[in-house]
Amino acid sequence: MSDAADRPWAPGRRELLALMGAAAIGALPLPAWAQGQSKGGVLKVAGAANPSSLDPATGGSGLDHTFLWPIYDTLVEWEYATLKPKPGLARWSFPEPRTMVLDLNPGITFHDGTPLDAEAVKFNLDRNRADQRSNIKADLTSIDAIEVTGPLQVTLKLKNPDFALPAILSDRAGMMVSPANIKALGGNESDRKPVGAGAWKFVSWADNERVVLARYDTYWRPGRPYLDGIEFAIIPELATGLRSVVAGQNDMAYSLPARLKPVIDRAKGLQVVTAPTLYCIQVYFNYARAPLDNVKVRQAFNYALDREVFVKAALSGLGEVAHMTLPKTHWAFDKSLVGLYPHDPDKARKLLAEAGHKDGIEISYGGYNDQDSVLRSEILQDQLGKVGIRLKSTRGTIPEISAQFFGAEKKFDVLLAAWTGRPDPSMTYALGFDKGAYYNAGREADPALVALIRQSRESEDLAARAAVFAKIQRFVMENALSAPLAFQFELDALAGRVKGYEPDLLGKPKFENVSLG
Amino acid sequence: MLSATKRRIIGRRMLQTIPVIVLSTFIVFGLLKLVPGDIAVTLAGENATDQRIAEIRQMYGLDQPFLVQYGEWLWKAVQGDLSKSLLSGEAVLTSIARCFPNTLLIVVMGLSIALMVGIPLGIAAASRPGSWLDGLVMSIASLGVAIPNFWLAMLLVAFFALGLNWLPATGSVPFGEDPGGALRHALLPAIALASGGVAEVSRQLRSSLVEILSSQQVRTLHAKGLSPSNILWRHGLKNVSVNLLTVISLLANRMLAATVVVEAVFAIPGMGGLIVNAAINRDFPVVQGVVFAMVLVVVLINLTADVLYSVLDPRIS
Repeated sequence: MSDAADRPWAPGRRELLALMGAAAIGALPLPAWAQGQSKGGVLKVAGAANPSSLDPATGGSGLDHTFLWPIYDTLVEWEYATLKPKPGLARWSFPEPRTMVLDLNPGITFHDGTPLDAEAVKFNLDRNRADQRSNIKADLTSIDAIEVTGPLQVTLKLKNPDFALPAILSDRAGMMVSPANIKALGGNESDRKPVGAGAWKFVSWADNERVVLARYDTYWRPGRPYLDGIEFAIIPELATGLRSVVAGQNDMAYSLPARLKPVIDRAKGLQVVTAPTLYCIQVYFNYARAPLDNVKVRQAFNYALDREVFVKAALSGLGEVAHMTLPKTHWAFDKSLVGLYPHDPDKARKLLAEAGHKDGIEISYGGYNDQDSVLRSEILQDQLGKVGIRLKSTRGTIPEISAQFFGAEKKFDVLLAAWTGRPDPSMTYALGFDKGAYYNAGREADPALVALIRQSRESEDLAARAAVFAKIQRFVMENALSAPLAFQFELDALAGRVKGYEPDLLGKPKFENVSLG
Repeated sequence: MLSATKRRIIGRRMLQTIPVIVLSTFIVFGLLKLVPGDIAVTLAGENATDQRIAEIRQMYGLDQPFLVQYGEWLWKAVQGDLSKSLLSGEAVLTSIARCFPNTLLIVVMGLSIALMVGIPLGIAAASRPGSWLDGLVMSIASLGVAIPNFWLAMLLVAFFALGLNWLPATGSVPFGEDPGGALRHALLPAIALASGGVAEVSRQLRSSLVEILSSQQVRTLHAKGLSPSNILWRHGLKNVSVNLLTVISLLANRMLAATVVVEAVFAIPGMGGLIVNAAINRDFPVVQGVVFAMVLVVVLINLTADVLYSVLDPRIS
């Protein structure tokens, strides 16, 4: 730890003015010194999984973001509590529906010293759209052409209006990598030697062991970051990760299951952080074939579920009942759907009888074999069994079971899993319910729903978009295309010295406001 | 200096490792392909599409026939290239070079603890068969066999790391960088690994020693006036050394396997964690590389035991 760790940070006149200006336009939260946060120190984090790649374009795991966000700033950011997009590296505007203009903040450089200008943004977006190794091509299909229209201005010509783009550019697609680094390394070398423009630069990565990041001294945001560095110890077993925090070896463990909350409560000097997330535990249906092609069977399934009990039993109360695939705090949440499927076993039996299954029905079911998933399965089996839905269960690892359900094999009728959420709801519905979407196991979709999903991207006004999402959600739930159960709350354990940490609705920790006391 | 015969035996054993490695990696590769799951889906990421999954299969040669994929891996392996992880891109050889010392340290420490505790207990029990001491030692041994090492590991963490804060709860430190720190990190996992070993060594040693000490040869030695300690150390232990060697080699192999669980409890980045994570995600170059390395280690342990047999017992050639 450097000497700076023990020294409170005092802004100079220039930094003070810059901070006040930034705070005034809402680009920054309250400055650190105003919160009593000090600079310095290395945050030690129990990382929940080995990253799949440290190149945002080529990675594949939703757990990568916790490693990526410190290294890469995004063109667009979001508000922690609601995921409403806000300016990041750039401000955006839509002069007309098929044109999006990005205006970059001046004076931003990558960790290798090269400028983050319009050419760099064009390079990144072109690479994300077309590179053979890019996993995010599908996110940017609405872009027709990318033009540099000024040293710090990029104009995106769109094939069709796409107002989901700001949110999309707050995710992997908006993480800017250094073009010089990509050109110099070639191949897949940049996966393990990343250069971004985030608050911390990459130092080292040993698989399944450690990722080390250090402060980027010429970071563009004045006074940031507070931490000298971040060290992730990769500990996939979450209970072990928590033990490392209890023992004082690490400062933070995140994305913990609810069953570990008593451990945090018992430990001396630890802070508990819980908050809603988009992580939706739900039952996926293959509704392209019998028996779930019958809407009455799907509705019976939904009426048979006692979601309140599920939250208490499976999540120790650390969750929120899911009435749809968005939680209450989300900007597109539609409260008219609350109570659409109350726990009503009699109605479930009646619907089954109307569907021709008055003696009950056997449904093949895929589930995961980790401790938490097994508990959820047992609760589900019990609740469904009471109305005559008998689950013929197969359990296995996540890659095994999900590939059997979503892939070509189409082995089960239903799958109990989770949807981890996306920055824009249109991504959730396009990926999960659109025609031919991978996470739509049957690949079939009603044309009306397909049209609504397209329409959800056609307006810039959030209220107008929320109205379209309300229609989509009503369509999905009235047709019972899935059975959402509960939103799992974020559960994090923090050492007493960690200050300023805020959870976010995406459930993927960011460290930009964190300091060590 | 080894005799020409022994050198021939060693040479033959080394040659025998080749078909063992080929067969074991072939079987493991086959199993990975047989069980459900597709690394292309994992590689395609969160926003996977059928088209992207197909692209990835083609890009990584996952659409090639099974034998072609295995043949390509084997051809590279014989040239010293164990490929890269499909998931993270790290060279498999780098992963093994980093993880193996962590595993080796806890196995060597575990084995040492098993011998340092198990041998005296076995001797104590054998020297007074049927006594309360014998009963006590055998009870401890039964308990050692019965307690699962992952459960003991968690108890050790709760008491010594979280309760008393004497030792680290998780992680490892490279021995070359900080030998003291490395030993402190490895002590609890080594104890957890050693519990079954202590039981096995003491029980095997006791039964072999009791048999030797009740033989006619030992009765003759008593009649000749040799002291009990002389008989025990010079004649008893020498005669059970071959049995003990067998136990040690089996124990070493078993401990290597047990590291999978113990490493998970202590978050040690070792070979166990490496292969489990890779197998779950069907990252076959890593699985193949680790199997390759572990087969080599097991063959080496068995070879060492074979050579030592012939040193300890002149009747074995």
